Amino acid sequence: MQSSATEDAKRLSLRNLNKSFGSVHVVKDLSIEIEPGEFLVLLGPSGCGKTTALRMVAGLETVDSGSIELGGEDITNALPKYRDIAMVFQSYALYPHKTVAENMGFPLKVAGVARADVDAAVRETAAQVHMIEYLDRFPRELSGGQRQRVALGRAMIRRPYAFLMDEPLSNLDAKLRGHMRAELKHMQHDLGTTTIYVTHDQIEAMTLAHRVAIMNEGVLQQLGTPREVYDQPATLFVAGFMGSPPMNFVHGSIDNQRFTSTNVNLPVSANGSSVKSVLGFRPEDSEVGVAGSGLFDATVFASEQTGEYTLVTVVLGDDTMTIKMPRDFDAAIHSSVSVSFPTDKGFLFDKVSGNRESIHLVGG
Amino acid sequence: MAYIRKRTLLNRIFEAPAIGKMAPGTALFVYACLLFWTLVVAFPLYWILITSLKTAQDVNGGPFFIPWVDFTPSLHAWKELFVFDYEDTLRSYTNSIVIALLSTLLCISVGSMAAYALARITYKPKFGNILLFVIAMIAGMYTTWKFGVDWKLTIAAAVAVWFLLVRSIGRFFKKSVGNGDILFWMISQRILPPIVTVVPIYMMFQNLKLLDTHIALILTYTVVNLPIVVWLMYDFMNSIPIELEESAQLDGASRLRTFWEIVLPLAKPGLAATTLLVLILAWNEYILAVFLSTSNAQTIPILVSAMNAGERGILWWSMCVVIIIMIIPVVFMAILLQRFISKGVLLGAVKG
Ligand SMILES: Nc1ncnc2c1ncn2[C@@H]1O[C@H](COP(=O)(O)OP(=O)(O)O)[C@@H](O)[C@H]1O
Ligand SMILES: [Mg+2]
Repeated sequence: MQSSATEDAKRLSLRNLNKSFGSVHVVKDLSIEIEPGEFLVLLGPSGCGKTTALRMVAGLETVDSGSIELGGEDITNALPKYRDIAMVFQSYALYPHKTVAENMGFPLKVAGVARADVDAAVRETAAQVHMIEYLDRFPRELSGGQRQRVALGRAMIRRPYAFLMDEPLSNLDAKLRGHMRAELKHMQHDLGTTTIYVTHDQIEAMTLAHRVAIMNEGVLQQLGTPREVYDQPATLFVAGFMGSPPMNFVHGSIDNQRFTSTNVNLPVSANGSSVKSVLGFRPEDSEVGVAGSGLFDATVFASEQTGEYTLVTVVLGDDTMTIKMPRDFDAAIHSSVSVSFPTDKGFLFDKVSGNRESIHLVGG
Repeated sequence: MAYIRKRTLLNRIFEAPAIGKMAPGTALFVYACLLFWTLVVAFPLYWILITSLKTAQDVNGGPFFIPWVDFTPSLHAWKELFVFDYEDTLRSYTNSIVIALLSTLLCISVGSMAAYALARITYKPKFGNILLFVIAMIAGMYTTWKFGVDWKLTIAAAVAVWFLLVRSIGRFFKKSVGNGDILFWMISQRILPPIVTVVPIYMMFQNLKLLDTHIALILTYTVVNLPIVVWLMYDFMNSIPIELEESAQLDGASRLRTFWEIVLPLAKPGLAATTLLVLILAWNEYILAVFLSTSNAQTIPILVSAMNAGERGILWWSMCVVIIIMIIPVVFMAILLQRFISKGVLLGAVKG
């Protein structure tokens, strides 16, 4: 077994990766530098090319153009088995005819490690993933969460340079998912193994990642810490994808340093790069009040109590917005209310390019 | 209580007493049908068994059904085949075993590899290139026939010419065939019964001086059964999730190791079922054997029909003896292979 501690200088670089299936350009010019020990989450909606990108790193998919480097070494065309990378598949891909112990020990057995050493390593890893009592079971005799642990153990056992995980929690029920998420984070921290984690669930991305790379239609939208992508979304897509409920948008235009829309007329610091513009604000940054007292007025569509808080949905022209209010708040449907938020919590986006403008709301 | 309707006697007989149970009336009917069918199936076997123990008078004077009651069993037919005609019987028997086993082995190994390749690799041979190959071969045949050139030479030349053509003009062809076409082409070899090709096959082996040899029958059976193996195994290979192989590759296993340690064990049920089928086909094959073997390579089905040839008329008793010894190994193989023909080997692989 190699130790990753001595290879700290290693860094995984994806440079201008491109991949097409037939005429469909699935991954477009993807470049990411992944630091040693980093937990990088590749986030994006279904079909945006995350799995394809991950499979290129694993060596399961050829690269059309661009390169993949590991510690300065070009591994773009290396066979998977020479990459020192382990992968956890969405379906776990456990070998159904092998026991838990044989599944976990397989990478070492293939590497020609002595039987006794394999057994010792299997026991050690099984203890780490809490599967020590199940070593003689077959995958079909395990629950989803247990299979997940075996897949994880099999990836961990040879102490690879990097883990690749493709939506590893998506087959688990909600409760188990939350539990496994915490365990994954804990384990990755203790092992210090570089990890690329693919998911379409922004909560997973926020909670697990050191940095999040958000993709849409094969294009990297933004790369940053969860805080950064949440607080400083670079594009309309990122703003709308992060957060639950996601950011609210008011579609309007900027003219004469004013943002205008139905019922809305707010001063901004400068004109934008194009007239068509979108004003965004987060549900938790805003509140509803008595009509006429906020930034603009809107009509209540519904008020939903979740127990923890109340979600008020309001309608303004063609836009629907959700505002998070305290648990004891309630608003009558069809009533008119005001919406307000601190002006520094409002984001302005260029409707045409989708990029965030460097201008902001003024006044208060 | 009032919500559960009272059941009449008829209900009680013909309705299931609980979910997952069978109604008494239905059960009676089903088991009666099954019993009847069992008798229909088992009776010929019983008839063969007792006929092998009958003398000529018992057979011709019959029908007699119950040994020791209707007639006195005699081992004369068994004695004739195993003592007097011992060599003939044994030769046919070993021939059948050798031919069936070897052709099955060959067929299964070649066929399942082909099936695996078709399931995992995307082939795109250009249609034009295939056409060129056919043209080159026809041209080669023509020169051999017209100018008497040595056929080995023409084949070599034709292949060389074809190769050059493919390298030079092959890239201009657009249309290509896919795996589905290849698969269909293979199974299309079985659309006509193999017997229609028996004359060319006969002449080929005659030219090669291989008539009445094991190798002729082994090769013929292998080729004839290959499409079945490819067709069946293709489905089995396809049902193995490719992620298992990808995972093994990431775990460091070589292609060969992945095949041996992951694919093959998972394909075992399919292999067992296909093996059994091909083995039985080869074991029972009669028509090709009639043409390709006379005495040395004579198989058991030929021996069965030989009991119908003598001037003594049909030797029912001897025929039944041969049929019995012919059935035994098949039953034995079925029991042996049945262990592997179990469902659910893939459970737990990829389902959550
Ligand atoms: N082997 C393939 N052949 C053809 N198209 C593919 C293949 N794999 C993926 N795609 C297509 O590429 C796109 C991206 O797929 P994928 O990377 O799996 O997305 P994600 O993992 O983000 O959901 C999808 O439109 C999908 O249909
Ligand atoms: Mg995916």
